[in-house]
Amino acid sequence: MSIAAAEASVASPHTPSIQSTSPLTTNTTQSGFAFPTYTSFPPFYTLQPNVTTRAHQLDLWSSLVTTYCAYHRLFRISLSSPPADLFANRSINRSLKPSSIRDVLDHMASPAGGQKIEWLSTTAKGEQKDSCYVLWKSANEWAEEIHAWVDETGQKGTVLTVYELRESDAVSGKDWRDMDEGLLRRVLNVLVKRGKAQIFGQEESAGVKFF
Amino acid sequence: MFLRQLDLTTALRPSFFKDETLLFVQAGVGLYEGKYKIPDYQDGSAYLTSHRVCYVANAQPRKFSVAIDLKDIERTEFYAGFLKSSPKITLFPKPPKSTQQAIRNPAPKHALPSDTLISPTRSSPRPLSQSPGPLRDGNATWICPICGLSNGIPANFDPYTANEFTPLLPCQACGIKPSLVHINKAAIAAMSNRSSGAVFGSLGQARGSEIPYGNGLEQGETNSTRRNPCPRCTFKNHRSLHTCEMCGASLTTSSQQQQLMAVERPDSPGPTLDTSIVGNDTIETIKFSFREGGVSTFLDRLKTALVQRKWLLQSAPPVPQPVNSNNGGLLTGSEHPSRSGTPQRVVGIAGLERRGAELRQNNQAVIGTAFEDLEALMTSAKEVIAMAEQFAKQNNTDSGVSPEARDILTDSASALGLVTTRDMLGSGSASETLYITELSRNLAEFLTDDRRGVLRKEGGIMSLVDLWAVFNRLRNGIELISPLDFEKAAIMWDSLNLPIRLRRFKSGLLVVQERSRTDEKTIAALVAWLKQPQNNDWPQATGLSDNQFGRGATAQEAAERFGWSVGVATEELEMAEETGALCRDQCLDGTRFWQNLFATASKEIKSMQTKDEMGFDELKRELPN
Repeated sequence: MSIAAAEASVASPHTPSIQSTSPLTTNTTQSGFAFPTYTSFPPFYTLQPNVTTRAHQLDLWSSLVTTYCAYHRLFRISLSSPPADLFANRSINRSLKPSSIRDVLDHMASPAGGQKIEWLSTTAKGEQKDSCYVLWKSANEWAEEIHAWVDETGQKGTVLTVYELRESDAVSGKDWRDMDEGLLRRVLNVLVKRGKAQIFGQEESAGVKFF
Repeated sequence: MFLRQLDLTTALRPSFFKDETLLFVQAGVGLYEGKYKIPDYQDGSAYLTSHRVCYVANAQPRKFSVAIDLKDIERTEFYAGFLKSSPKITLFPKPPKSTQQAIRNPAPKHALPSDTLISPTRSSPRPLSQSPGPLRDGNATWICPICGLSNGIPANFDPYTANEFTPLLPCQACGIKPSLVHINKAAIAAMSNRSSGAVFGSLGQARGSEIPYGNGLEQGETNSTRRNPCPRCTFKNHRSLHTCEMCGASLTTSSQQQQLMAVERPDSPGPTLDTSIVGNDTIETIKFSFREGGVSTFLDRLKTALVQRKWLLQSAPPVPQPVNSNNGGLLTGSEHPSRSGTPQRVVGIAGLERRGAELRQNNQAVIGTAFEDLEALMTSAKEVIAMAEQFAKQNNTDSGVSPEARDILTDSASALGLVTTRDMLGSGSASETLYITELSRNLAEFLTDDRRGVLRKEGGIMSLVDLWAVFNRLRNGIELISPLDFEKAAIMWDSLNLPIRLRRFKSGLLVVQERSRTDEKTIAALVAWLKQPQNNDWPQATGLSDNQFGRGATAQEAAERFGWSVGVATEELEMAEETGALCRDQCLDGTRFWQNLFATASKEIKSMQTKDEMGFDELKRELPN
């Protein structure tokens, strides 16, 4: 156990240091993400009928989903094809039912759950929501981060394309690189609302000017 | 020591002696000492048993409960009540030991006139069946059903030990032998008259002759001029006569007794009474005030109990059984020597056959006389029960009944004495609730009885339906309890403060368990069990340290572990889940319950998150690329 934890901390330098020293850490997967101990607790994969217990359980799930997505830099989860090892633990042969996954995500989307995810609006009416953005950092945090970066690099007043913000070499070390385009637009919209940016053009060729 | 401390059972009912049976229960009873109410003894239940009259207070029953031995009661008096005054039964204690012994001196010193008429009795040796206990009025008579003459009942005739072999004398006028039952009834009637009226002859006479020794108070009595009417023939005898000049009946009357008592009473014991009435020697009378009715039945049964004197049976020698069944009906005195002198001994198969035949004949006779009359049935109840018990045993050895069932069935005879039946309680609206209350107490006693260990066998908890089945089975088909009454009785446990409680699980299942067994204890036991490292036969557990989360258990496993039924185990586990102590793991092989670790884990997460927020910038820098 202690060896595994040590390995985990060595193998995954990205993980927050607190987590690696925490007693909760366990089970490093091939991807390097250290799953917390409670993911090996079989009841974790059954939604609890007791309200209080369920609240605790959902908190744990919320925490797991956000740390997992932060580690893997996932910005979007699709219910039809969720990350294979997130909602299941092969070693104890347990997995969360799809309906329960939806419950967990619903909870995370609610204000009580801290709005850690945001459902994508469906294209057709009556269709069940399938995908969601995972806000392991909230839109405001993202917005501030991007704005700070623009400020630091002295690009205020210049026009940057969305492509540049997502994929250029300049942002290679930044958390938001490869961010889902829809999410990036949402983040930029926050800046627009604050009057710190302006978006030009349509869709693919959109450009952003920061103030 | 008229009032005695009373031991209570777990169900807060009097605990009975061996052989003691419950005769009647009445709620809403208060106690008086003399004229005055005894504080703290004003609201309770009166239990009449074959040996005692018990009072059990509703509030603080363990503190304020007393019993009066029937053998200490000299006589009873009935007051019917008037306007707001409740009906009362007054119990007069027997005088203290020193005088009592003197009074208890043997039979009449002077021959009764009636004895001269019944010369055969005196000339014949006393039958063997004389029991030391019951002393009876010398003037008891039976009326010949043929000619109507009042014949005296032989002084040695005891209605409780008499059987068909007891010698009976024919009527003096017509020479027809009376039936045993007839004499039995007459004897019992004479006794009950005595108990309410005069004391038995010997005592009365003895007391008369020992006035100075008595209490000294009688000396002041100046009613020597008064004439004494005979209770039988109403002839007015001279005061100094103890027996009637005309008919020879004893003359000690109740009126005399009352005067005697009245004189003995001190002026006033004062408005407040000594709190320690138990064991107090100076008590003169104890009154039971029946505020909720039931007095007449109580009095009836009390009188019967005083007459029957069951407490004497315990020490009495066994009923003499005739060695030779040929002697059948009447045994005259002359036959005695031959009977005891040359007992017929037959050996071998003939002997065995003979014994069998005798046994059958005997049984037949007992059953025959027992069912001749209900009253007679009462007198031979003991034998009949013994026989029933024996039959039950025989049946069981024949058929392939499970040993448990056999145990319960053989217990049934003892249960007969324990169980309250509807007819023990009077009629009326209050009797219904009283019946339920008594049933409730019965049940509690049954459940807490260590000899049976009903609850223990079921792991301390059992469903009400199971209990109903077991309990009714124990009643052996007599006085079965309806499910409705049963549930009502079970609900009463709480209000009666009994050590058993009824619990309703959220599914509606009703279970019975000891009051001391609370949910907390159950949960603690469950959690302690689930904390233990899980079995290695759980194959998926590979890679985990074994006792990280304890173990998961199905309802089945819990039932096995704690001895519960599966239904109860499910309910208990769900109850524990409800409180948050356990959580569930639904998987393909069923639902397993685990200790709830979510709360602690989420707490750790929370604390981590707060740390996260504090060290956010630090973390941000640590995140590479």
